[in-house]
Amino acid sequence: MTAMADITPLITVRDLTARYGHIEALRSTALHVAPGEFVTILGPNGAGKTTLLRAITRLIASTGQIVFNGRDVTHLRTHELAGLGIIMVQEGRGLFGDMSVRENLQLGAYKLSGPQAHSERQLEKVFSLFPRLRERIDQTASSMSGGEQQMLAVGRALMADPKLLILDEPSLGLAPRVASEILSTLGALNKEGLGILLVEQKAPLALKLAQRVYILASGSVRAELPTQEIESHHDLARYYFT
Amino acid sequence: MPSAVELVQSLVNGVGIGLIYGLVAIGFCVIYNASGIVNFAQGVFVMLGGMFAHTLLTQFGLPIYVSAVLSTILVAGIGVLVQIAIINPMWRRKAPLFAIILATLAIQLLIEQVVILTLGDQPRTYPEFTSGGPLKIGPIAIGYQLFWVLGCGALMVFALTQFFNRTRMGRALRACSQNREAAALLGIPVERMLIVSFALSAALGAAAGILITPTQYTAYSVGGPFGINGFIAAIIGGFGSAPAALVGGIFLGVIQSGAIVFFGAGFKNIVALTVLLIVLLFFPSGLFAGRAKSA
Ligand SMILES: Nc1ncnc2c1ncn2[C@@H]1O[C@H](COP(=O)(O)OP(=O)(O)OP(=O)(O)O)[C@@H](O)[C@H]1O
Ligand SMILES: [Mg+2]
Repeated sequence: MTAMADITPLITVRDLTARYGHIEALRSTALHVAPGEFVTILGPNGAGKTTLLRAITRLIASTGQIVFNGRDVTHLRTHELAGLGIIMVQEGRGLFGDMSVRENLQLGAYKLSGPQAHSERQLEKVFSLFPRLRERIDQTASSMSGGEQQMLAVGRALMADPKLLILDEPSLGLAPRVASEILSTLGALNKEGLGILLVEQKAPLALKLAQRVYILASGSVRAELPTQEIESHHDLARYYFT
Repeated sequence: MPSAVELVQSLVNGVGIGLIYGLVAIGFCVIYNASGIVNFAQGVFVMLGGMFAHTLLTQFGLPIYVSAVLSTILVAGIGVLVQIAIINPMWRRKAPLFAIILATLAIQLLIEQVVILTLGDQPRTYPEFTSGGPLKIGPIAIGYQLFWVLGCGALMVFALTQFFNRTRMGRALRACSQNREAAALLGIPVERMLIVSFALSAALGAAAGILITPTQYTAYSVGGPFGINGFIAAIIGGFGSAPAALVGGIFLGVIQSGAIVFFGAGFKNIVALTVLLIVLLFFPSGLFAGRAKSA
């Protein structure tokens, strides 16, 4: 808390604890994302990364505190958090598989009930980021390739005009080229000022894009590092295996 | 062997009752798709539709059209009440689905008892919407009410399809049916959508009950049979789209009325249940599986 102290963080999570039955999958975890910051969470399989993101978005119950834009949102529900601009792309994408690309994108803009013009503008923006979606506009989501599906998942989230975009392993199961295409797009969005909280296993690119990294293992944060301090992957390995 | 005339007549009757099953089936699908809940109180909406319409017509002297519309609205309100008072609290506490489904069964029995106490246990009916008839085509008689069933059924399915495909709320309901977590993450208030699904489903059931009562009768106990047949129709249709459920209903209605002319009235339910088992055995995802599961 040095340079951070004078800026209100976009999101602050304190003391977040979540259980599956008797198993504590998340132990008093704390993190924050500053406005316009790109933060990556790394950690081995089963570390609790997905659990952390699901607890933040209230898909699972947890104890602790969540403050968004200076407002305590601990007791809000998932859809209310989305209304404030906390939008998550789930692990496994969470697409509406039987619905068309167009309908998926329209649903992305669900909470923007107001002027049509706004969602038209979002749509153009999504198409400019992922031109492939325009070509597939009337195809059902489930009939697309994995890469296209992930583009749709990100595009749909962007339709919701996020203030904080949370992504759970968007590169999972994708060819390296497609994965890096999607991650680079996230980098570009961040340059425009979008706050991003990314869980990723494909560390190299995610590290290049992020300004800060949390390392999660066995349900708690092992380390918090600015990315420029990570010189080699041996550094990371040390946190993974201790 | 029944004569050709008997066969055609039974086909006509079967289509009529089948459309009603179809409407009940759509009601099942609307709730099931939005929530995964099989609402066994579905038949009770059919019963309440007829009972309320009858009461408004005879006790309050309202015209049939007004009674029909009011009754539909009232039953939709009861659907909402059931959702808010019982289903939603269970849903929030993450009750297992089978417990919620059991609760809907309890609701059915409870409402039946309340109806006996307030409206009585005697069967009752009211005249067809349009007097006169039946329409005679040679030896085949088609009651005017069948046209009402056909017209209203087609209109409701059309309106429902438009609603699900073209409106923001309809799309949001479909989104809930595909992935409730993803829907919530986009800001869709899933619980409110479940309330909408109960209102819609109750209104559909009520409309079915109001339309069919003139050709039969209604009583506190008709919910069970309509519920079961509607459920079978929904399974035949694959618990998917509204048109598929409607076709499932007509299929079942025609087979049942065929069974009556071939084997006698006592075989109606045996045949319906046999059809159910055959469908479950050979087409576990419904006769229209593989088609897009929209609307
Ligand atoms: N629904 C569940 N019920 C019980 N235990 C669970 C459940 N989901 C996750 N867990 C357990 O909680 C721990 C953390 O799981 P989580 O999915 O959050 O890990 P992760 O870091 O996202 O892993 P991965 O990299 O494989 O996606 C694991 O030990 C897992 O087995
Ligand atoms: Mg995970």
